[in-house]
Amino acid sequence: MKKNFSVVGRPVIREDGFEKVTGSAKFADDLKIEGMLYTAMLRIPETHAKINSIDFSAIEGSQYLTAICTRNDIAGIKKIGVIKNDQPVFCGDKVVTPGDVIAMLAGESEEELHKLIGKIKVDYTPLPVLTDPLKALDENALLINEEAGTNLIVHHPLRKGDVEKGFAQSDFVIERKYTTQLIEHAYIEPESVTAIPMGVSRGIKIIGSIQNPFTTRRIVAAVLNMPLSKVRIEQSHLGGSFGGKDDTMCMLSARAAVAALKTGRPVKIRYTREDSILESYKRHPYIMNYKAGFSKNGKINAMKIDIIADGGAYVSMSPFVTWRTVVQATGPYLIENVHTDVRAVHTNNPYTGAMRGFGSPQPIFAQESLMDEIASMLNLSPVEIRRINGLKAGDKTATGQTLQNHDVNLLTVLETAVEKSDFTNKWKDNRENKKILFEPDFSNPVLKDNDFIRPEDSIKRGIGLSVSLRGCSLGGEGIDAAAAYLSLQSDGTIYLNCGLAENGQGLKTTFSIIAAEVLGTTAENIYYLELNTGITPDSGPTVASRSTLMGGGAVKNAAEIIKQRLIPLIKSEWKLGDEEEIEFAGNKVSASGKELTTFPGLCRLAYSRGICLAAIGWYKSPDVHWNEENGQGDAYFTYVYGCQVAEVRVNIVTGEIYVDRVTAVHDAGKIINKLGAEGQVYGGVTQGVGYGVFEEVTHENGLIRELNFDTYTIPTSKDIGEIIPVFVEGDDANGAWGAKSLGEPTLELASAAIANAVYNAVGTRLYNLPLNLEEVMLGKKLRPVNNKRGSLA
Amino acid sequence: MINLKFKLNGEKVSVKTEAGVRLIDLLRNNFGLTGTKEGCGVGECGACTVLMNKKAVNSCLVLAGQLAGASIETIESLAEGEMLHPLQRNFLEHGAVQCGYCTPGMILSAYALLDENPSPDEEEIKEAIAGNLCRCTGYKQIMDSIKATADELNSKNK
Amino acid sequence: MNNIEITIPKTLQEALELISGGNEGIGIIAGGTDVVAGMRQGSNRFGGINQLVDVNHIKEMKGITGAGGIVTIGAAETFSGIISNKIIRKELPLLAKACGTIGSVQIRNRATIAGNFVNNAPCADTVPVLLAYDSTIEIKSLAGKRELPLAEFLKAPYRTQLNSDEIVTSIKVPLPKGDFKGDFYKLGRRRAVAISRITLALLIEIKESRINRLRIASGAVTPIGTRFNGIEKEFEGKTADEKTLKAIASRLGERVIEVTGLRWSSEYKLPVVQQICYQMLYSAVYGGGK
Repeated sequence: MKKNFSVVGRPVIREDGFEKVTGSAKFADDLKIEGMLYTAMLRIPETHAKINSIDFSAIEGSQYLTAICTRNDIAGIKKIGVIKNDQPVFCGDKVVTPGDVIAMLAGESEEELHKLIGKIKVDYTPLPVLTDPLKALDENALLINEEAGTNLIVHHPLRKGDVEKGFAQSDFVIERKYTTQLIEHAYIEPESVTAIPMGVSRGIKIIGSIQNPFTTRRIVAAVLNMPLSKVRIEQSHLGGSFGGKDDTMCMLSARAAVAALKTGRPVKIRYTREDSILESYKRHPYIMNYKAGFSKNGKINAMKIDIIADGGAYVSMSPFVTWRTVVQATGPYLIENVHTDVRAVHTNNPYTGAMRGFGSPQPIFAQESLMDEIASMLNLSPVEIRRINGLKAGDKTATGQTLQNHDVNLLTVLETAVEKSDFTNKWKDNRENKKILFEPDFSNPVLKDNDFIRPEDSIKRGIGLSVSLRGCSLGGEGIDAAAAYLSLQSDGTIYLNCGLAENGQGLKTTFSIIAAEVLGTTAENIYYLELNTGITPDSGPTVASRSTLMGGGAVKNAAEIIKQRLIPLIKSEWKLGDEEEIEFAGNKVSASGKELTTFPGLCRLAYSRGICLAAIGWYKSPDVHWNEENGQGDAYFTYVYGCQVAEVRVNIVTGEIYVDRVTAVHDAGKIINKLGAEGQVYGGVTQGVGYGVFEEVTHENGLIRELNFDTYTIPTSKDIGEIIPVFVEGDDANGAWGAKSLGEPTLELASAAIANAVYNAVGTRLYNLPLNLEEVMLGKKLRPVNNKRGSLA
Repeated sequence: MINLKFKLNGEKVSVKTEAGVRLIDLLRNNFGLTGTKEGCGVGECGACTVLMNKKAVNSCLVLAGQLAGASIETIESLAEGEMLHPLQRNFLEHGAVQCGYCTPGMILSAYALLDENPSPDEEEIKEAIAGNLCRCTGYKQIMDSIKATADELNSKNK
Repeated sequence: MNNIEITIPKTLQEALELISGGNEGIGIIAGGTDVVAGMRQGSNRFGGINQLVDVNHIKEMKGITGAGGIVTIGAAETFSGIISNKIIRKELPLLAKACGTIGSVQIRNRATIAGNFVNNAPCADTVPVLLAYDSTIEIKSLAGKRELPLAEFLKAPYRTQLNSDEIVTSIKVPLPKGDFKGDFYKLGRRRAVAISRITLALLIEIKESRINRLRIASGAVTPIGTRFNGIEKEFEGKTADEKTLKAIASRLGERVIEVTGLRWSSEYKLPVVQQICYQMLYSAVYGGGK
């Protein structure tokens, strides 16, 4: 492992920063092309309905209408999907969820198009609606996708040891049920994409807020019935994604492309926030039943888990999201006997797919709440129970994988977090000063004398923690490889590109740092090229916190390929012996401490000698193995570990939770981009707090209530206190100098830590996210009886 | 259609427009100032924040017909060529930018704050940007940047 | 929305003439934070509107003045203007606090005080405070002017006494005479830019350990902002001890049930509003608290 870094780990200004602070960065909707058309979507306000007929006669011939696009305009596949082709680009005879689009109008004025939409007559018959995922597998349940013949999207079983024997050997067995809510990615930039027809021989070009250009290309090509090479996707500056601009952007790109080919003109789709929340996929709500058997000494002997995930109307990423769940559902604990079933099912609800965390925030909330409850039953502290059961190097995970070839830092992150936050003292103090929540009795709504609580008694402090292990990158989901293109110019500046996408997380900067480190130059010396599927090698999707690990590995490989070409040149030019060590640092090249030339000087020399200064670097993950029958195998090739401690104040009168401080300790391997890594922690924790405390998309019979940011509330600057990032840089043979994953781990832990802190404060255990006002006070959610906006009642 | 005259980024401008066009659309479509972003269209996210007579406003809630005589400043007016405003520079140095979509509005809210209150405390900074939603950064590095800028400007003015 | 007509009258007379025809298609706009957002979302409150009269430049409708123990706030005064006004901060602190909880800086820089209550939304944050301060509003039309207490102006959810040819021109808030203590409370789902779940305004004057005068008004827990005169009368003159304060809070619970009935949210809101009421009374009488 390299020890002295000159660029890695230091604060470096973002590659795309100047454009972003000056307003000159072009996001998808900033693109304007002469002759461009806009669009409007035709939907019906129904969750499930049979479409009998559509009558466009009232708008045909309108001066504002250039084209009506329906499924009849599609040359290729009419249904698409990132895993299964089940989502209609334009619906035919049925809508199965309210975001479904029946047709799209294209024309020059968005405002006029929206008026035209209102004039189209859709004759439809509402159908019964399935909203309860627990009823989706009933024998007589209505089928969302009739061709599939079942509402079961996927079932992942996992069997390790003998769970019944484990329960029998246990002193205690408890069963608990946990639920989590539907939530929205809430990237601040709504979706936008423009399709530009390039003529018969050149195909189509698509520019947009696209998270995964290669996935989008595959889908657009299939919809247009074109070869991949004729569909070129360019990514605009992307205004946040968090997993959310994948399927939806494939869909919008396909629609825009269909319209562009039909009209021969550039077509832009730009979504309002309402369109976005209505149609885009969300994070899966989970219903989780956990049964645990454990001994008096705290050792967990067996765990039986049954999880239902609401996949909504389409398959989307559900099979992979729930796969991560089955791998990680028991958390970072050594348990001999595990029996897990995770099922994703169809309902008519808004569909769910990839969102930062990807099947981990839900089971972590359950399993980390459960661990605290077990500790509490045994009069152990939350730290002790985790010390007893936590995974160590050489231990076997629930999937039977032996943890090896990296620092298994679970207990290290735990102990670090405990120490940094003074957990043990605070936890004991809070517990001793515990106050009981005021518990209203609705049968007697008028309060009596001794119900009242004085102001000074209404705030109670609590501290709680949660830990996780997380498999890095795709694991058993599929092919896992990435490419980078690096090209040195004769003046010492460098072009860099990678097939993974800059979604705001900062990978351009991280990759520039890696290349600069290898070549001994500075990150500012690197010009990062735009991602364009026409010139960039396919590197798979930008998901699963895999960019630094996989893309970083590829960048390092590319830089090393070139370096290996330069070293023989240096040795012959300066007549150096084989044993002399060549060093690239500080924009200089030296041998055994003696400066030979500058980095630009070397580039000039290499160029003049006809040496190829461009290279494609490649990084392919080590193999993983998975047995679908029993859920056993090496699920991921390496893991990261995290522990977050939440300190909260609970208002025992109103149920308000305020998170004063989160200490976030993560082993993400080597930290490459310091500012970026800290930013991931601050942002991820804040998202985790929103998820834990108040974010929720609710719906009545499938129709979403919160369609904009007035009612879908995400954390503001005032909604969270201090966040303290701490990095434990564990060693790992993988990636660039062992740099692994951070984006998702930062987000997955907070909700459980908060729930545990609430218990520490008031002695009430909460089982249902979000821990909003009603949940804290009543242990349940209250729902309005109609869809009106506003707060009345 | 109306003939509208107002001051934009320090210059007098006139434009022919419908009165009910929102300021954000006017800036983006008629003047090509696409640094002003739309995130919600209902005044909740602050991505469209501009300065109107030196005060931060949501440009999605101001109509062109209301503008006559007003002075509007957008993110494009802050830097002088390659010379960034201290706020912009501090946003970069403190890692306050991730996806960057909220950034222009965020910087303008901070600008308006420092204009009115050169030495804000942490609570005042939080309040000033509470109307600018950011989903990426958790706000911490943004607040650090604003604080650093205040300190920098104050030490210069001493 | 684009082709709507916008007129910017310089005088009130001009504005009144514009709206005098009883034209349903004319609406008033000031900050636009409700109107523009509402029109964009297709709210039926603005359905037929094709002309907007912008009242931001009418002098009589701006500014804050104090005379004869009454503070007059121009109807088109922004929340930012109100918060930064010294008289209001000193003499009407509940109003300053309520205005400070509304929306964001950007919203407060545009949104106006009359705009907050002319649509009579139940969650309007200034309403309980203005009710507690016994505010009256001045309304003008070409036919003349009338003044009425805000409590009378607010009829039912989204309905007021305002006729289509009238404009609310100012709000008159009498300075509370006496040694009132009190507070404004707002509960939302988050700490900023939140729609109110519960609001309460409370003013209480204690003389010789007795409640001399009491004013309580609510928002968001009642169909419209509501002043509880009955409770005030019942408890004025009573000893200001904890028992009485609790009794007031319980009585508020009873009254909210009578006024609002039981709704989906009552199970949460009812007990909480009573607790909050008690805590506000307690803090006002005994100091400290929060």
